[in-house]
Amino acid sequence: MGTAMRGVKWLVLLAVAGVSAGYAQGDSEADVGSKILAMEHVWAQAYVAKDPNALERMLDGAFICVDSKGRLLTKEDALTDVRKSTVLQILIESMAVHLHGETAIVTGVFLMKGMERGKPFAQRNRFVDTWLYRNGQWVSIASLAMQVGP
Amino acid sequence: MKTMGLLLALICSTSLATSAQEVADGGTVATIRALERQWTEAQSRNDGGALDLIFDNALVYLEYGELVTKGEYLSRIRSTKPQPLLDQIAMEAMEVRSFGGAAIVVGTYLETSAQDGKPHAKRWRFVDTWVKKKERWTLVAAAATPLSK
Repeated sequence: MGTAMRGVKWLVLLAVAGVSAGYAQGDSEADVGSKILAMEHVWAQAYVAKDPNALERMLDGAFICVDSKGRLLTKEDALTDVRKSTVLQILIESMAVHLHGETAIVTGVFLMKGMERGKPFAQRNRFVDTWLYRNGQWVSIASLAMQVGP
Repeated sequence: MKTMGLLLALICSTSLATSAQEVADGGTVATIRALERQWTEAQSRNDGGALDLIFDNALVYLEYGELVTKGEYLSRIRSTKPQPLLDQIAMEAMEVRSFGGAAIVVGTYLETSAQDGKPHAKRWRFVDTWVKKKERWTLVAAAATPLSK
């Protein structure tokens, strides 16, 4: 969790809903959940740092994203958004992981604050992300966000 | 995802557009498309039994910004009477992406409802996640967000 998110209390729920298989031997479902949640924090921090490098490895080549405006973005679009980010702070307010074997669903709410065209903004979004264990690592294959408040 | 807070008459396009980006896994794509259609049809007749078979027990459903469980969703379906002429969902294009034991569906639909006696239309973009469990595809997540005009 980056500087912007330090001190934020967030709730982690781990709901195991499938048969665990395929990921690194010795990893419990709780371990897998923690790893994925950590990657979610890296993802958020990438927008604050305007640094797509870490995110580049976490998104599958076929990743698709529906942002809070309903735009459909590819991986390249998402990385471009990170480079052009106007976000100064992201506070993840809650997250939960639902494991289904080699697929994981993460749901949560985050508040982002930033500055666009000289004006401050704040937007609270609820999101649903899909992760897949592929070629020995967890990658995100889909993401959707919906604005739920200022 | 088909929003169900209102009662719906679901207008299924008989020829939902197929994207060239769909993966060559034709069997999975066809199966998932059929399941999406079954979901739409089951919802149009408030068939909780059919939806129960399609939805995973741990389904997460983002509906109008709220997270809804399978139980909450089915309970609402069962307690609502169909009013097919009031509100409608028209499914539009959808694309299925196969990832072996998982599949992603992304598409849009147009929701039309009556508000203050006037028709009100809103277009949504959705993402559904299906997972194959014990040789059966089950819906584990569904979410939609409105398109900005």
